Amino acid sequence: MGGRLLRAGFLLALLFGASWYAWTAFTELSYLSSAGRLGPGFFPRVIGASLVALLAYSVFVDLQGDWPESAISPYWRTAAVLALLCAVFVGLLDLVGGVLAMVAFMAGSLWFLNRGRTLQNALVAILLPLAMYLVFSVWLKATLPRGLIPLPF
Amino acid sequence: MEVLNHLLLGLSVALTPINLAYLFAGVMIGMIVGIIPGFGPAAGIAILLPITFGMEPTGAVIMLAAIYYGSMYGGTITSILLNTPGESSTVASTFDGYPLAQQGRAGPALVMQAVASFVGGTIGVILITVLAPLFSQVTRSFGPPEFFLLVMMGLATLIVMIGGNWRYGLISALIGFALGTVGVDLETGQTRFTFKSAEMIGGIDFIPIAIGVFGLGELYYALYVGLHLKGSGGIVRYDKEQRFWPTARDFIETKFSLVRGSLLGFAIGVIPGAGATVASLMAYSVEKSASPTPEKFGKGAMAGLVGPEAANNAASSGAMVPLLTLGIPGSASTAVLLAAFVLWGLTPGPLLMAQKPEFAWGLIASMYLGNVALLALNIFAIPLFVLMIKLPYRILAPAVILVCTIGTYSVSGSIVETWLMFAAGLVGFFMRLYGFSPAALVLALVLGPLAEQSLRQTLTISGGSFGIFVDRPMSLSILIFTAAIVGGGLLMRRAGRGFKPQ
Repeated sequence: MGGRLLRAGFLLALLFGASWYAWTAFTELSYLSSAGRLGPGFFPRVIGASLVALLAYSVFVDLQGDWPESAISPYWRTAAVLALLCAVFVGLLDLVGGVLAMVAFMAGSLWFLNRGRTLQNALVAILLPLAMYLVFSVWLKATLPRGLIPLPF
Repeated sequence: MEVLNHLLLGLSVALTPINLAYLFAGVMIGMIVGIIPGFGPAAGIAILLPITFGMEPTGAVIMLAAIYYGSMYGGTITSILLNTPGESSTVASTFDGYPLAQQGRAGPALVMQAVASFVGGTIGVILITVLAPLFSQVTRSFGPPEFFLLVMMGLATLIVMIGGNWRYGLISALIGFALGTVGVDLETGQTRFTFKSAEMIGGIDFIPIAIGVFGLGELYYALYVGLHLKGSGGIVRYDKEQRFWPTARDFIETKFSLVRGSLLGFAIGVIPGAGATVASLMAYSVEKSASPTPEKFGKGAMAGLVGPEAANNAASSGAMVPLLTLGIPGSASTAVLLAAFVLWGLTPGPLLMAQKPEFAWGLIASMYLGNVALLALNIFAIPLFVLMIKLPYRILAPAVILVCTIGTYSVSGSIVETWLMFAAGLVGFFMRLYGFSPAALVLALVLGPLAEQSLRQTLTISGGSFGIFVDRPMSLSILIFTAAIVGGGLLMRRAGRGFKPQ
């Protein structure tokens, strides 16, 4: 049952987004340009209307229970925690800078996934971000977030 | 003769020390990308795009293309030793590859897959060398109606041949098209769906989306199904076997499988949307049908490994033909390659081979060399890749997230795009979970602007009539070809032989 509800929730979220897209296409974008050619609203209207129709039909079919449904995996918490840690990681990038955020993320996720191997986790959590820093920032001169208080190196 | 001159020009470009170094780096990275389950070449190329920013364009594209076809080789090693395909295109290699390994023939299976990949890849590049210039000449007469229909053909093929549910596949493609309309309308200058944000005016960059759905989405899915709990305990020990090398009988029995798989794979690879997964599964079916002993398939038939391996590598070469001559990618991976081309100021299409011969032929020549390098790597560096297979997923997963996130940020230094990648990862996970097609989404996102522009131009030319699509011989041919592929795909589904989702 949980699996079906989750599927319906995902489809409804897509339907909501598609409805907003179609509404914007029909109300804010003109079908024809001032020169009388097909305008910026033409393609989005076709896409939006098709999406809403297909998603509405899918929600209807799904709620009717025509689909073979599998139970939610017992490992869903692992995926959810990693996704949450990833969100925290992205949030930390601009706050504490790329290097510290990488170390914090690796330490947190390895503590969660690879419990009981403290030394291994500590080494990976420090060495991998260091390698990333050397590759991206030093070698490639790519931009890494500096954070509110930049590190001295 | 002209082709040989072009090829010599290409070799003179590819054989420079720096380009050889890039090529070797690309095939090594491709092998590693192929080995990691749930981490495909599309995400691999997208993440490594920033690494190429300091390079010269030809060298950069040589390296990125090497990652693409190198991943086809790498994915098979896990298929044979662990019964887990590293890539969707190596699923068929598990059917007979793993049983062979269980029977104590892992060494011969690994060598034969390397030989089959080499033969498939090399025949594919030979066919590109011969056919790409011809394709290029034919496609010069293409106008907006043909380009629009080619985009539709690619998406329709992808949805029908790969997607588990065609309706969900279509929804995925429409979402990609919708995302592609964000930004400024190039004809009128009007902004669309930008939330009045300056960052959105340029549109949604497909790199964070590709990294999100293929990198993070696949990784979340792998964790969801418990891959982090699986160790490498089930890995077959090939180094304890008495015979590592295949016998003469292995080569004799599979010589026609090599050729059949290569030709079939190339032909399928050229069709936009079909791709290496479909090619390898079809090659497996063909080999089983052609075999005098079909009952051995699934129990360790060498032809059941060799045919699909030759096919998926030939298909990856075939997919370069529409990319180079039309600028139309047939898969998510080639869509990322297309973006790399554009990033370097190269516009793939009918004029590319004439206007930038040193680039186009340099890339083609590098593929010959890349296949030789991959053959050697696959035979002599197997212990190195086996070590990588043994790396636990519970350590690999956070490392992949780290690379995805930092890779996305470094493309343009934008935290908005990094959040976009995170959101795409969540959406990608649910798409994967419920049988949607992330590949169709990314392909439609990349091709959306071309589809919209060519459709609007077509309808302007025709005065709003859709009859133009059947009035022009070329567009009518594409329509008939598309109908045949889609009809054939639907018939196969109805007959219960449809291909399962990736």
